[in-house]
Amino acid sequence: MGAGVLRGEGQRPMRDFGGIALLIAALLMAFPMAAQAQMEFSLDEVEEENAKPAKESKSQGDLIEELAAGDETDSGPTEPAPQREETAEEIYAVQQIYALRLKRLELAPSAAFTLNDPYLKHYGLGFAVNYWFTNVLAVGANFIWYDWGSNPLERNTSFVPRIQDQFRLSVPINDWQFGLWVNFTYVPFYGKFKVRKKIFQWDAYLIGGVGLMRTQPIPVFDTNRSFDWQTNVAFNVGAGLRIFLTRYLTFFTEFRAYMWPDQFENTQVAPGAGRSDSSTWLQSGSSFVANTSIQIGFTLFLPIKFEYRLPK
Amino acid sequence: MMKLAHQTLLRIGIWAALALCLVLGDGLREGAGTASAQDVHVSGPLAGADAVKKLRLWRKNRLHVEPFFAFTIGDEYARSLIVGGELRFHFVDWFGIGGWGGYSVGKLDTNLTKEIQAKGVTRDANRLDLPSRESYPDQIARLNWWSGVEAHFMPFRGKLAMFQKVFFDADLDFFVGAAFVGVEERADTEIRRDSLTTPQYCVPLGASTPQDPGCLDSQQARSSRTVIAPSFGVSFNAFFRDFLGIALRWRGIPFKYNTSGTDNNDDGQIDSADRLRQFNSMFTVGLIFVLPPKMKTTD
Repeated sequence: MGAGVLRGEGQRPMRDFGGIALLIAALLMAFPMAAQAQMEFSLDEVEEENAKPAKESKSQGDLIEELAAGDETDSGPTEPAPQREETAEEIYAVQQIYALRLKRLELAPSAAFTLNDPYLKHYGLGFAVNYWFTNVLAVGANFIWYDWGSNPLERNTSFVPRIQDQFRLSVPINDWQFGLWVNFTYVPFYGKFKVRKKIFQWDAYLIGGVGLMRTQPIPVFDTNRSFDWQTNVAFNVGAGLRIFLTRYLTFFTEFRAYMWPDQFENTQVAPGAGRSDSSTWLQSGSSFVANTSIQIGFTLFLPIKFEYRLPK
Repeated sequence: MMKLAHQTLLRIGIWAALALCLVLGDGLREGAGTASAQDVHVSGPLAGADAVKKLRLWRKNRLHVEPFFAFTIGDEYARSLIVGGELRFHFVDWFGIGGWGGYSVGKLDTNLTKEIQAKGVTRDANRLDLPSRESYPDQIARLNWWSGVEAHFMPFRGKLAMFQKVFFDADLDFFVGAAFVGVEERADTEIRRDSLTTPQYCVPLGASTPQDPGCLDSQQARSSRTVIAPSFGVSFNAFFRDFLGIALRWRGIPFKYNTSGTDNNDDGQIDSADRLRQFNSMFTVGLIFVLPPKMKTTD
């Protein structure tokens, strides 16, 4: 069985992982049989590898050569025969990447909680689909549904009536129906941590994309007005943390900022017949809206199983 | 359109959470049962070897000195711009304790404050809340200074690559502690009127004089106190040199205060009963200087 280098597109992921991938490559060259998730290293393999002079290795970069070369001052006798007994190289082992993302589909249901709207509570349920075309880069889409049929004015926070009572002011408020975005995801770094005797793999990612957001002004200043859902061009950026529970199931939490230009209800009511003129109901300009939210969910990677393969 | 009652939504949420726990629990159990890579069993000459060789010790037995700039987020009426510093000592590479402090060097009124200042309306019913709309920014609360002590945990660390050319170490720092905040609020007062036909006036709580017609002076009167509150947050740290790094931090400090300087419980008085819980949070950008400047590595 092969070990942790990817076939075909393997060169690019190796550059992505830099020195770690080089170390993996060194390990593969040193231990061609060490390809299983649980690393088994037999003494015979080590001795067989030790019999070869370290300088003869042609597969590693400078870093690996430096690591594998050991101390030059302890190079020992120049006769080849005793090398089998006297070479005592330090062996650096790097665990294979626990879960590969390459060429896998990621399904991610989540719950979204808006952080920065003091006027209206928004509850969102989301679903995301990503396809990983390298081990660190994915393209996908995410969808969040906010409209659960409740009267938006019942989701007012206590802030709205306080402003009305204390300052005699009303606040234009828009309700949200759903958002749909196409995104790129990039995993710049990853690692692992230990909880008691369990080791959990994690990665952190950056995400961003463009899409649309459906919103609707809530009549506050004139209850005779009614508004349709309007579609706004939207974009988003964010960052997240994913913890692998198994090779195919992860828990994730992410911070997302969804932004779009939105049109709110006109705070002025036109006198006379103009009041029923729907062209006067909206504010003339758009306001920039930034919905910062926390999303929590889990992801399922498909196919569930994958194999490490040696490059040809 | 499908309508779901709040209780139905809650029930769905509870069931979803239970299902999630079951799935995740099953995942954990499966991981334990099959001894996947999360339980790394290494035999042969590598058994018992260190997990990491030449690990760079950014924190162990080192002092972090961090000047920072911060601004509060999510404020209802005014944001604070803060300049400060943080000092932290780490006993091991994943744990340290430290203190921080800052001073609000500026404030930014929110758009709501500007709207109230421009369009607020004062009537007898809300005279205590808004004696004068033009002076409204003077009655809202300010957070003048900040300090705190915190314990820091760094369970996650890794390497970050930029454009596959620049590599640097990074970690996440979770912290929890206590914060001390200097709060300046509208001073206690109460509104009175002698009869339905006479104008309203304010007096200090429990006193009958001096009388403040229209409560205009009370809008400017201030009182200060120190609040002790829990603080917690997370920081992303990246290190570029043995002695230099950058920190991007979010910190939350929830506590009660009267942000708007208004009679929130509608009892005709401005007092401590009008304080509302606020989830105060700030975003911080800091420059980390590490002492001693020379970094050590493990074997």
